Amino acid sequence: MSPETWYDPTRVGAPLVLLLLFSTVVLLMIRLSRQGRGMFIRRIAGIQAMEEAVGRATELGRKVFYLPGAGSVDDIQTIASLAVLRHVATLTARYGVDFFVPNKDPLAFAAARETVQEAYLQAGRPDLFTGEIVQYVTYDQFAYTASVTGMMVRERPAANFLVGAYHAESLLLAETGQTTGAIQIAGTAEVAQLPFFAVVCDYTLMGEELFAAGAFLSREPAMLGSIKGQDYVKAALMAFIVCGVVLEVFGVHWLHDFMTLGNGH
Amino acid sequence: MRLESLINLDRRIVYLLIAIGTLLPVLMPIGFRVTTTAPVEAMFEKIESLGPEDVVMISFDYGPTTAPENTPMAEAALRHCFARHVKVVVLALFPIGGITMAGEVLATVAPEFPDLVYGRDYVLLGYKDGAQAAMKQMGVGIANVFPRDNAGTPLEELPLMQKVQTYADVDLVITYATNIIGDYWANLVNAQFGVPVAIGCTAVSAPKFYAFYDSRQIIGLLGGLKGASEYEHLIVSHYPELRPAYSQAGIYNAMRGMDAQTVDHAIIMVFILFGNIVYFLILRRDRRASRRSA
Amino acid sequence: MFWKLRLPLILTFCVGLVPIVTFFLTEKVPGVSFVRDKVEQYMVIIAGFALLLGVVNVTQSNIRKIEKRKPGWPFAVSLLAGLFVMGTMGILSAVRVGPFQGLLTTADGTVTPFYWMTRSFFSPLQAAMFSLLAFYVASAAFRAFRVRNVEASILMIAAFLVMLGRTPLGEYAFGWIRGGELWLPGLTDWIMAVPNTAAQRGIIIGAALGGASMSLRVILGIERSYLGAKH
Repeated sequence: MSPETWYDPTRVGAPLVLLLLFSTVVLLMIRLSRQGRGMFIRRIAGIQAMEEAVGRATELGRKVFYLPGAGSVDDIQTIASLAVLRHVATLTARYGVDFFVPNKDPLAFAAARETVQEAYLQAGRPDLFTGEIVQYVTYDQFAYTASVTGMMVRERPAANFLVGAYHAESLLLAETGQTTGAIQIAGTAEVAQLPFFAVVCDYTLMGEELFAAGAFLSREPAMLGSIKGQDYVKAALMAFIVCGVVLEVFGVHWLHDFMTLGNGH
Repeated sequence: MRLESLINLDRRIVYLLIAIGTLLPVLMPIGFRVTTTAPVEAMFEKIESLGPEDVVMISFDYGPTTAPENTPMAEAALRHCFARHVKVVVLALFPIGGITMAGEVLATVAPEFPDLVYGRDYVLLGYKDGAQAAMKQMGVGIANVFPRDNAGTPLEELPLMQKVQTYADVDLVITYATNIIGDYWANLVNAQFGVPVAIGCTAVSAPKFYAFYDSRQIIGLLGGLKGASEYEHLIVSHYPELRPAYSQAGIYNAMRGMDAQTVDHAIIMVFILFGNIVYFLILRRDRRASRRSA
Repeated sequence: MFWKLRLPLILTFCVGLVPIVTFFLTEKVPGVSFVRDKVEQYMVIIAGFALLLGVVNVTQSNIRKIEKRKPGWPFAVSLLAGLFVMGTMGILSAVRVGPFQGLLTTADGTVTPFYWMTRSFFSPLQAAMFSLLAFYVASAAFRAFRVRNVEASILMIAAFLVMLGRTPLGEYAFGWIRGGELWLPGLTDWIMAVPNTAAQRGIIIGAALGGASMSLRVILGIERSYLGAKH
């Protein structure tokens, strides 16, 4: 059946309102931040520990492993991981410690190689960058895991960063890293894998902390403003939820109906 | 034996006991009883409400890694559909082994129902890459995504696919998913096209999908081997003619797998208790030593 | 600078806006279907080419390893052999050349070479790797579930109850009491359905907002780390 209107009436409701609210708040906070308004972001233990982890590897004379996760560059967690990778690569370049970034996804591999190379250049140590630092392993989940865990056991890195989108391989990688005595900093937004990382790793960036990490590390006003904006939107959503619960208790359903997308159940 | 050596027990001892705990119930089945839960019963009731005029789309979104959990639930639900003569459209959106799993499950279950005809009662469409894109396109036309079935036959030559053009012609989608593809079916297909979706997932993903079940984005959930064993128990209870498939010696199914899982859970719980007892003994010893030295 | 930075940023902005805008539009707007569907198909094609890039990198690094006889070089030989044998078989099977007629079985039920390789090598190896999780979960649970503080205690008790309730042991524990066999499974279901779901929802909402914020930064060109550039 051909549509009657140029816009989809089942979608022009809560989704559009939330999109506009979100964009407006975030852009406003970015603008305020660029104008010099201070933006307080709480300390995140995992981010603070990154330099400590690289320093430990330098003292022990062992490698730093960075695993950017199983996702491709269309996964926002991988983009977030690349932001953190840049920071860690800068640290390893500065300290002159051996760095290794095995990749599962070919697009992420290409992006990671660019990121690390640029980080080494910015740190003034382009001589330390080689093609061996960032490698593509394989696309298959468990073949990648087998390869990387084997490398962990043989090379015994002092620090492991497991940042990005992970699935069933998360516990295999983290537990193997734990057996080798490495300090481990993990970060993912995959809720099913967070418990494994939280139990096995020394520090875990949970959910939005992963997305905030790159922004937090850069300390750029625009980035800090976006984190602040997202926090205000979260507060607004919490208010929506409380209002919704109260309204539902009293049998008023307009907010529930407004928030229901299209013809979904 | 020093308490410290107990609390830092060599992990190979743990691995050995887990291996024994897995192997022994496989060699000597115990036959623990199975009690069903609401999310599994909901999916069962949904298929029970369907008949020969209805269509179920089954998406194999898992690979060999999770076959021990997902294959039993796939076989059980397929047997249920075939027993009720529900029409089934099978596809795979998981790149690493999805189509292989689909083929294997069909090859196992279809011969048990000799009156069913391929093309009329069930179809294997094949594998398509780009899960979200494929799902969206099937809302416009299944033939846009799968112009031919897995054997290369044009869809217009298959009687079943002449009736099943889009999601509007599908009464239920079941996805056996290990990762994000399950989310896509719930968030995209159910939310945007209104098709009821049920998910069969691994135990590690089940906590996430409870939220989807609670908000009615999915109508049923089979969580891990336990969910699969519950479904098998339901179909064996309601369809006695399917019992031979689950009582053959040497054939793996979820109810048998639960024996090993139960024993392993018990071993893990014993180790947790043991670790905590040793931990408290160490704390008590250190407290006494510090009091004596004070 | 234009090709390395500005052009990718312009492309990111334009392509990033497409799914957002077309989400609200119908096919009545000319070009919506084409744009909406083609962008997704182009992603699949680009990923295919990128896979080629990855294969080249794997081949190069492993050939270097073999040439220099680095430690473990025989494994590099087996890796390359597996890569080219399986890859070649897969391509030939997909286009149906000679004895390679498809990825599963032929019309008469004969197992194709690709399916034989998958069933004999790939599937068992995959299953073996996944099964390591059982052992790792046991050792991680033994090490981590200690009553060190309040949070660790709650974690341990919840894990204990769920493990018990998700197996028949939970039914046997109180099965001697009338109706007792459903207590632990019921409590487990409550833990999964209420506190677990609440926590999962909180994390999912937070992560979704974080992802949306990050996406906005990427689309607007504020976040440039994926290009290897500074912000």
